[in-house]
Amino acid sequence: MNKARVGAVVWRHLYNFKHSWDRLSDAFYWPAVDIFIWGLMSVYIRQATVNIPNIVLLLMSGLVFWMVVWRGQYEITVNLLEEMWNHNLVNLFSTPLTVYEWMVGVVMLGFFKMIMSVGFAALLIFSFYAVNLFNFGWLLLPFFVLLLMFGWTVGFVVAGLIVRFGMRIQTLAWTGLYVLAPFSAIYYPVSSLPAWAQKVSAWVPTSYVFEGMREAIFSGRLDQGLLVKSAGLNGLYFGLSLWFFVRMFNVSRKRGLTSVE
Amino acid sequence: MTKVVLEVENLTKIFPGGFSLKKMRRSEPTVAVDHISFEIHEGEIVGLLGPNGAGKTTTIQMLLGTTSETEGKLKFFGKDFKKHRSEILQEVNYASAYTRLPWRMSVWENLMVYAKMYQVEKPKERIEMLLEQFEMEEYAKKSISDLSAGQTTRVILAKAFINFPKLLLLDEPTASLDPDIAVSVRKFLLKQQKKYGVAMLFTSHNMAEVSEVCDRVVFLRKGKIFAEDTPDELAKTIKNCTLRLLVGDGLKRLRTFADGRGYQISIKDREAEVVLKEKEVARFLNKLARHNIKYSEISIDKPTLEDYFLVQAGGENE
Repeated sequence: MNKARVGAVVWRHLYNFKHSWDRLSDAFYWPAVDIFIWGLMSVYIRQATVNIPNIVLLLMSGLVFWMVVWRGQYEITVNLLEEMWNHNLVNLFSTPLTVYEWMVGVVMLGFFKMIMSVGFAALLIFSFYAVNLFNFGWLLLPFFVLLLMFGWTVGFVVAGLIVRFGMRIQTLAWTGLYVLAPFSAIYYPVSSLPAWAQKVSAWVPTSYVFEGMREAIFSGRLDQGLLVKSAGLNGLYFGLSLWFFVRMFNVSRKRGLTSVE
Repeated sequence: MTKVVLEVENLTKIFPGGFSLKKMRRSEPTVAVDHISFEIHEGEIVGLLGPNGAGKTTTIQMLLGTTSETEGKLKFFGKDFKKHRSEILQEVNYASAYTRLPWRMSVWENLMVYAKMYQVEKPKERIEMLLEQFEMEEYAKKSISDLSAGQTTRVILAKAFINFPKLLLLDEPTASLDPDIAVSVRKFLLKQQKKYGVAMLFTSHNMAEVSEVCDRVVFLRKGKIFAEDTPDELAKTIKNCTLRLLVGDGLKRLRTFADGRGYQISIKDREAEVVLKEKEVARFLNKLARHNIKYSEISIDKPTLEDYFLVQAGGENE
């Protein structure tokens, strides 16, 4: 693993980020839109007859926590697509860069941009709704690690499919993760899902994090078993996703990387 | 004896057939490169030629590792490519008129990313030198999207030299360049070869360019090496030449005579072009004198690499 080459991958996308209105709006505009829509919705619910305690914190935490998952997967898939859109994949992999170094580079980018987007969102939420996400304290750390890890997992699976089948399935970069959103129980408890969906939810690591988040909001405590279950599933899925992406990359090399550009 | 920088042994690529949902069966595999072997020595420029679909680009992609080989061995600088990929690619670079660079980023940023990728010492100085060499200093801050095709090609060439490569793989590097820039690029390539002993594998559809730049040519046809020699020697295998005459008197007699003897002749105004074997030229001119055909100007076009290419490429189409 060569740090300079990993750094070059990070620099490549940071330069691009600076020039790209698409990437800037992904990082700031859409999170802000979500926060305003959902924030105003939660204020309305709070003022209505239905009394759900901590509704603003509940919805805003769900939104920001999901942003962590989304950011993790998005940086992997869209940065791969950026290389394909720019016909730069062959240039990139004709250098000493290895696929593992590229993977570490985009994971690091995902981490930096997650910090940036979450920081920005937390600031907006605090400014407009007087809700401080950092009241979760140290619990934020395991929550974010587990959520980001699942984002990377989905990112590598989707990126593996894109590198194998090409840009005709690029829509998965935006839609793939949302298949799992209902089962992650972001804004509602798992118990409110139909029985069959609860069974699916039990295999989705993020569902335990969101359950834990709600428990922490309502009771101030956290069942550590939830985090352990999430970590176990996450570890398994993450390992499989890394294997899958490398395998798909090598299958794509059989056809030639030029064929997917 | 110069060092061997690249050894290609029995390199083969068979693309698997794709599965057709309509026909509900897998199509036949395609043999793109078929057991080719060749070497490149330090400081040597080798042309890789062949008609479209001959396997040139697939060969270059396999040499870069961006397409995996089905069979065969690749050694760069005496080292096995599979075992030492990153170490080898540190000394190799690539440029193609058909790849692009990230279009939002500036010329400078693109080159800086690749300088970081290759861990170039003093990257700023290197980038400045290359931009000057390729006459691109004034475009350093421009986005790739603001450049013309020729300017983009020059940036791609600058990228190819960023790591002081010992071996360059160039896939039609001067396509889309203006003639004057193409000349300066060729001069630059030859200077790099002489000064630093850079070896190059070079594909081009410009045969005059290949003749000028390449020490040796490997000619591919249907994935196999069909011929391998210097450009001059390959051209010599073509026996026909073109005789041009500015005819003063006897134009009709010339046509009748040439048609009668089975020579390929074309006449425009008073200029006649006759294609015939080189060794028959003297006899042909004698016969014209006997038929009292008078001409005021004469020139003979000797066979070139382009003639060789056209004959061989034509052979594939037959």
